[in-house]
Amino acid sequence: MIQLKDVSYVRLGSSDLEAAETFATSCLGLQIAERGKNALYLRSDERAHTLCYSQGDPRDQTVGFEVEDETSLQDAAATLESLGHAVQAGTAQQVEQRKVKAFIGFRDPSGNHIELVVRPERSGRRYFASRDAGITGFSHIGLNSTNPLRDEQFWTQVCNARVSDRIGDIPLMRVNAIHHTIALVRAPQAGIQHINHQVETNDDVLRSYYFLSQKRVPIVFGPGRHPTSGARFLYFRGPDGMIFEYSVGVDEIEDEATHRPRQFGFEPTSFCMWGSKPAGMTLPNK
Amino acid sequence: MSEDIKHRTTPLVASVCYVRQAVSEPLACARFVSDIFGLQQVAAQDGELAFRSDDRFRTVSLSRDQHEGASIGVEAWDETALQEIGERLREHGFAVRSASLDECGRRYVQSALLTNDASGNRIDLVIRPTRSGRRYFPPRDAGIVQFQGIGLRSTDHVRDLAFWRLLGAEVTDWVGDIAYLRIDHLHHRVALYPSRRNGLLYAAFEVEGLDQIMQNSYFMQDNQARIVQGPGRQSASGQVFVHVEGPDGLILSYVNGMAEVGDKPRPPRQFPLTATSLCNWGSESKGVPELGTQAI
Repeated sequence: MIQLKDVSYVRLGSSDLEAAETFATSCLGLQIAERGKNALYLRSDERAHTLCYSQGDPRDQTVGFEVEDETSLQDAAATLESLGHAVQAGTAQQVEQRKVKAFIGFRDPSGNHIELVVRPERSGRRYFASRDAGITGFSHIGLNSTNPLRDEQFWTQVCNARVSDRIGDIPLMRVNAIHHTIALVRAPQAGIQHINHQVETNDDVLRSYYFLSQKRVPIVFGPGRHPTSGARFLYFRGPDGMIFEYSVGVDEIEDEATHRPRQFGFEPTSFCMWGSKPAGMTLPNK
Repeated sequence: MSEDIKHRTTPLVASVCYVRQAVSEPLACARFVSDIFGLQQVAAQDGELAFRSDDRFRTVSLSRDQHEGASIGVEAWDETALQEIGERLREHGFAVRSASLDECGRRYVQSALLTNDASGNRIDLVIRPTRSGRRYFPPRDAGIVQFQGIGLRSTDHVRDLAFWRLLGAEVTDWVGDIAYLRIDHLHHRVALYPSRRNGLLYAAFEVEGLDQIMQNSYFMQDNQARIVQGPGRQSASGQVFVHVEGPDGLILSYVNGMAEVGDKPRPPRQFPLTATSLCNWGSESKGVPELGTQAI
């Protein structure tokens, strides 16, 4: 079984790095780690980077997950190949671009591009935000799935993900104590549905709501509260339509051995217990 | 001031215990107060529509009577405190008279002194406001815990402040000339807002938590009720709020999380009259000048 430790980074293609930078710093509030000719590296926590925009097609989207060591990486490659997934080992240049020791790339059953990485770099200097959004770190992703039942099996049986809760057929899955690191979302094609950063307090969620509204950033859902994880959230739209989320207060699963996934009905109150309604953001289809 | 009064170990006033509001459309207002805002309507008496928010017999009442139907109830600690407040007010030129039995009955209190602040807001200083043996049972799950306090319009904030100080209130903080007044452990129960006219600005009801503040905000949007400010968070008191306007300009507020004043005395803090002093989340007043940043 492939043991995922945590989500490590997201890589997004961008046709306009300047616009991506403006949004990432003046709206989202991340710190610029490095600005190259063809790539923009952004920090959100103690890691050297957690988001990278590179010159290219916005449909090129990659999620990186950390595994324990190079032996685990080789085992993972063997497992994936035995299941018929094409696996590419990262070249020296690609490894450098990702600020990791080694990595492999493959596609999940829906076709999402996934990378498994070893020893992603940390930074000696603490994270210093470009605006006071209260970000404490990159935390999880919403991942499109063309078949949630099949993909849940992939993430929970080939990998070590566990289902924390379900809304209809949509699983919220964890790879460590945090309620979820991967939220599957039914969609017609592969892609990253949203990118989550945790913030310090409720106040940060509400302040950003007013701040981003004033900046005319489209708020697509929230401020609200998920009854599943307990998190207070705000979803908003960035460059190339990518949705970003701030949230605070995601529960931790206290007892790994005895936790049973709860079933929530597929209805609006299962997504927000406050009563906010998605505007311009498709909820996972049933 | 007599010797035993000077050495009182209890405060002069205990709480703000009710608001009686005169409105032109009591029935429309009543629908807002119960169906939308979520207070429990109880039996009307003397032409006053009455509502509960906690274990008190009633904390809000509505009537058409512009003259006798509007007042703010302030609970004096006891009979001695009531007499003391009466003397103090008279000494400082405020007219005070004892309420008749009829007037006390209408207010559900044992006895009362009726007075006006310098702006002409009618203030009832009352003893033993009636409590109910039956628990509060609201018409919808708005999460209301209790009536917490009021915002009051003031046309003469220097004299009005003097009035409230005679009742034992003290300023906790200033935002511009808006004064937050404490009478107990909470940061404030009364806030005086400089205004061109007198009257109640809002009556605030504590809810269980942030969840209820936000749920009620969305409920208002879904029901086309007008939010005049919020959801927001007062910078000075830390209190989360949403102010909702009903018919006749009646503003009721959901609040939660107000700071308590510590045991250690501190001088009042001055905040400038700016948007971030009034709300550190970034909400702004929509059409209510007293809640905004324009000096009046």
